[in-house]
Amino acid sequence: MSLSEKLHRSAGLVFPALATLAALAAAAVIDPYLAYVATSWVIFGLLGLSLDLVWGRGGLLSLGQTAFYGLGGYFGSVVAINMVTLTGNSLIWSLPAGAAFGALSAALLGWIIFFARMGPLQATILSYTFTLLLWSVSQSFSMNVGDAAIGGDNGLSGIPGVVVGFGTAAEALGPTEVFVVAVLIAAAAYFLCSWLMRGTFGRVIDCIRIDAQKTELLGYDVRRYQLANFAVAGAVAGLAGALFGAWANYINPTIFSVQEAMLVPIYVLVGGLGTLAGAFVGAIVIGALSFYLGGGAVGGQTTLILGVVLILLVLFLRNGLLGALDALWRRTLPDHNAAARETGSVAIDPTVLEGILVEATGRAGPAKSLATSDLYKRFGGVIPVDKVTREFNPGRPYSLIGPNGAGKSSYLKACAGIYQPEAGSVLIGGTDVTGAAVVERARQGMGVKNQKPQVFGELTVLDNLWMAAFSRTRDKAAAAAISHKILSMLGMERQAAVQASALSHGQQQWLDIGMVLCLAPRVVLLDEPAAGMTNEETCELSVLVRTLARHATAIVVEHDMEFVRTLEGHVTVLHQGKVFAEGDIAALRGDDRVLDIYLGRREHV
Amino acid sequence: MELDYLATVLLSSLSSASILLIATIGLAVVFGLMGVINLAHGEFLMIGAYTALTVTQHGVPFILAIPVAVLATMAIGALVEVLIIRRLYGRLFDTMLATWGLSIAFYQLAVLIFGTVSPGIGMPQFSLRIGGYSLAGYPLLMIGVAALTGAFVYFLMTRTVYGMKARAAIQVPEMAQAIGIESSRINTLTFSIGCGLAGFAGAVLLPIVPATPSMGFAFVVKAFLTVVVAGPVTLTGSTLAAIGLGGGASITASFLTSVSGDVFFFLVTALLLWLYPVGITARWQRKM
Amino acid sequence: MRRFHSALALSTALALFSGAASAQTKIGAIFDLTGGLNIYGIQQDNALKLAVEDVNAKGGVLGSPVEVVSYDAQSELSKYTQYANTAILKDQVKALFAGLTSSSREAMRPIVRKAKIPYFYGSLYEGGACDKETFVTGSSASQQLSVLIEWAVKKYGKKIYIMAPDYNFGTISAHWIKEYAKKAGAEVVGEDFLALTVTDYAPTIQKIQAAKPDFVVALPVGANQTGFLEQFAAAGLKDRIGVVSTNYGSGNQQVVVSPQAGKGLIASQGYFQPVENAANADFVKLWTAKYGAEPPIVSEAVDIWNAVHLWAAAANKAGSADAQPVISALESGLTFEAPNGTVKLEPGSHHLRQNIYIAEGNDKHGFNIIETFSDVAPSYENEKCDLVANPALAEHFTPESQ
Repeated sequence: MSLSEKLHRSAGLVFPALATLAALAAAAVIDPYLAYVATSWVIFGLLGLSLDLVWGRGGLLSLGQTAFYGLGGYFGSVVAINMVTLTGNSLIWSLPAGAAFGALSAALLGWIIFFARMGPLQATILSYTFTLLLWSVSQSFSMNVGDAAIGGDNGLSGIPGVVVGFGTAAEALGPTEVFVVAVLIAAAAYFLCSWLMRGTFGRVIDCIRIDAQKTELLGYDVRRYQLANFAVAGAVAGLAGALFGAWANYINPTIFSVQEAMLVPIYVLVGGLGTLAGAFVGAIVIGALSFYLGGGAVGGQTTLILGVVLILLVLFLRNGLLGALDALWRRTLPDHNAAARETGSVAIDPTVLEGILVEATGRAGPAKSLATSDLYKRFGGVIPVDKVTREFNPGRPYSLIGPNGAGKSSYLKACAGIYQPEAGSVLIGGTDVTGAAVVERARQGMGVKNQKPQVFGELTVLDNLWMAAFSRTRDKAAAAAISHKILSMLGMERQAAVQASALSHGQQQWLDIGMVLCLAPRVVLLDEPAAGMTNEETCELSVLVRTLARHATAIVVEHDMEFVRTLEGHVTVLHQGKVFAEGDIAALRGDDRVLDIYLGRREHV
Repeated sequence: MELDYLATVLLSSLSSASILLIATIGLAVVFGLMGVINLAHGEFLMIGAYTALTVTQHGVPFILAIPVAVLATMAIGALVEVLIIRRLYGRLFDTMLATWGLSIAFYQLAVLIFGTVSPGIGMPQFSLRIGGYSLAGYPLLMIGVAALTGAFVYFLMTRTVYGMKARAAIQVPEMAQAIGIESSRINTLTFSIGCGLAGFAGAVLLPIVPATPSMGFAFVVKAFLTVVVAGPVTLTGSTLAAIGLGGGASITASFLTSVSGDVFFFLVTALLLWLYPVGITARWQRKM
Repeated sequence: MRRFHSALALSTALALFSGAASAQTKIGAIFDLTGGLNIYGIQQDNALKLAVEDVNAKGGVLGSPVEVVSYDAQSELSKYTQYANTAILKDQVKALFAGLTSSSREAMRPIVRKAKIPYFYGSLYEGGACDKETFVTGSSASQQLSVLIEWAVKKYGKKIYIMAPDYNFGTISAHWIKEYAKKAGAEVVGEDFLALTVTDYAPTIQKIQAAKPDFVVALPVGANQTGFLEQFAAAGLKDRIGVVSTNYGSGNQQVVVSPQAGKGLIASQGYFQPVENAANADFVKLWTAKYGAEPPIVSEAVDIWNAVHLWAAAANKAGSADAQPVISALESGLTFEAPNGTVKLEPGSHHLRQNIYIAEGNDKHGFNIIETFSDVAPSYENEKCDLVANPALAEHFTPESQ
């Protein structure tokens, strides 16, 4: 690996560390006034960081970050006003209090958003509504809390400045020292968030952004992760708010205003969405821009220029400044995705596979049955699943066949919990999971591959498998061992570092199946796994499904009758949402009624 | 509570809801048919209001100033679609940010061109008496205007070739493309119509809301929440949401304080989004 | 040319003591030149420049012209704190003239207190701001309402309805209305506080009709809230119920409101452009020569004009532009022949004793002055705030918190 490549890999640590040092060095030379203004840019950067966590990484554009920022600011300042006389030091009160209150309010809002499973637009709007509500209420909210007088629109004044010393003699710092403190706090928050987002937590958050459904199918409780991420971001926003209070000595309801709320996404966009450090770059660039445009030059059309800059940014610099730099840099680096085409052949080794499955039995218990009784699902006038009662047991594979629109995929999705049935029940290993969330079923041992391959495109092939393996084992080393085994079985060792999105459709199918294997599921649902595969691959797939079926309940939806025949399993024909016929493939092939429904004839029906 | 007060409250709440619907319908059309949230909608309203104001100041009767405002906003809307919106299809949040940029730019332009205060055109001085109460007539007239606007949009979307093409283009874009519907031209027209409706709202509401550069902001937040609460069946949904939220807020304000009306609006919005995470019409079979 | 020489001579002399940078006295101005509040901010800034030109034309301060550093707060609160610090830390201004909203003033007061330079706030407001550095040249709510309510009760009757914005200015004004109503033997029969973004006035208008008042005290903020007055008039209520206000016209609302809705509305303020006196005639002449006749001059502009002149007079009297002597001079009972009549700076409260005018809207988007109350004292501020006796006070007195 070249030096440039190594540097690129750790750019998120090296450059921010350098920037921190540069800022600290600059503090020694810049005049107090610039230090004062630059402190606000750092604070806004921190606020931007909180949005980048939930938007750039979590995928939810929250317009509620200024709400947590304001709440943290108010709460932290009120605590500081009342407690500062005890210690002299103000930050030990305001910062933890602000962060805690920000986290708490974010958790409350996040609980509503994520546990109601809101659509992305609705979630954005709800967060916006929350901010607006605070704005309306805070204008006339007057209350005295100890020494702190919250005075409605006139705001809360008398907030102690940044005091780091202790005791009664401790005094508030001057502008340059405040700048240094703000830079240190921001750096600490950044590196903490960066560490969190580089680890497993961050990877799960990334997966949720890319494909929340798949993440949940892998057995991660998506809602809890989202909530935790939202709360962490709320804490960062609250921290920024408390720091803002100490910097300005004053807070007022405009902190909740629409203008403030909309500035935060701009910081993040300008810097580069999802980069974390970009939020700071954006805040500094926008701050400097409005400083030099609107600063001395009276009547400067700052608003107009900012509006136009925003439009141009969205149109032409979609990934922000850091994104653009990254793209330039990447051009000089070797392309790992070039290896996508050098794929080896798939070779399923039943013994290795059985090893994993047996090992899984030790942890998760023996194979489980899947049963549905009178399962019923409708979409308006269409009833894709019409009172299906079936039981599936481990031993040999089950195939679901039927013409297009027979309800095969819908039945599978109703079993998986992706569709909530209107009536009937689903049992996994005798446990009723009808109302349970997808993740609950995944934990019961269900593994699902949907019709369209679902892979995490931005992650590497190996990481895709690792995510699945880690979900089951919760052990990094074990997950690495399993994912490597599956990787070699898929013949993709050379693609380990390739991004999944660079793979062909067929390769993505295999990767998706590989992820299901990493789960070592007790019940497996595969929707058209053979689609887009070569004949050789289909043979391997057949070996795989038959091996799986010996250790788990395996159900396959397929159109490829030759493949279904090689499975030597039990076949169920669905038609118009109902079980139409059952038996082995040979018997069904001779059934004229089955032929009729496939051909759309009505002779024997 | 006296009966005449109750009647007055109901009637004026209906008029408040109608005003909200008039201000919202353009946004609903653009969102429903293009999946685009136009945050500059309020500024198109403002452009409509200023156009109508300028035209009346030159001696044109108010009733004729309205179509001029519609044409002006349609033209600007078409231009914006071609220059900005078209490049951002399928990027909902990017479109929101770009249109927000547009809104602050338009706002500042309005300050530069028109200054901060312009004379209003006044409200037609006729009123309706119910028992001991009298109500300004013009806002009540808006109930009829809202109904006509709604009917017009419904007719446009369900009975005209354009409307069918537009709905086809959003529902099955590939198919629409395959049968020769040029979705980009349809989209330009849709966006332009949405902006025209905003311009219409600004003009027709001018006697109630005087033209100021910041007038768009007062409307757009509630219009925006109304459309999102409405969900996928935009026209019927927006009508219901406007009546429920706007009318409800007005009734709350009549019996409690004005601020509680606003709080009602925001809280019910939050509650509805909680109960209907993708809008109140998510499970409906209707088309518009 | 001669003036140039004398200025040069003086600045050379001064440079011996304080360095060449302070040859001229710098003052800072922060107003909203863009954004929603520039209805007021542009006029405040224009008034400041005009006043400085006037001061400089009459010999400047301490013999040299005053220099202005001007900032645009863009109607954003955060910009006020930012530029207040800029003006103080970077430009080292000797006095600050800034702010329109109460929140902007409250945001800047801690900063000027820390810097210990005189700060002038020129806007009508809810009253009660009190500290050694802050000087208020606008009229306070109690100052305006004390005369307005008494007048209106006599004119219309004893039942009052309050329609006010839902923030400090509105709620504190409502308090004073109740207090002065009690004094006048009148009663408040209803009140409604409106959010600043409200556009739907129907509920308020119904509540007013249900309460059957003799007059309404309407305090609409900005141009958006003029919709209330239109709707009130269109409902035919204006002829039955009087409308009085302390802030109608302060943002030139009379220009926005149509003649049929604006005619007959009563406003009380410290200044209206048609005020007749010699100082105003000169002022209006200077103003229209520089800025034109439209839009009309608002009271905030005059407040700033007065502030600059008072500061210049104090500095000349003290013989120094430094904070301590200037503040002492400001507390020496200065008077000034202002466009709104003679004003006197109260030493204790740092507020102005000034005329309050009652004006009636006409049908030409303007006002006719119908009553002048001379030399109205800021009695609430004088009562609560005596900075001569108690220089360490730093408060914002509100009647509710008593």
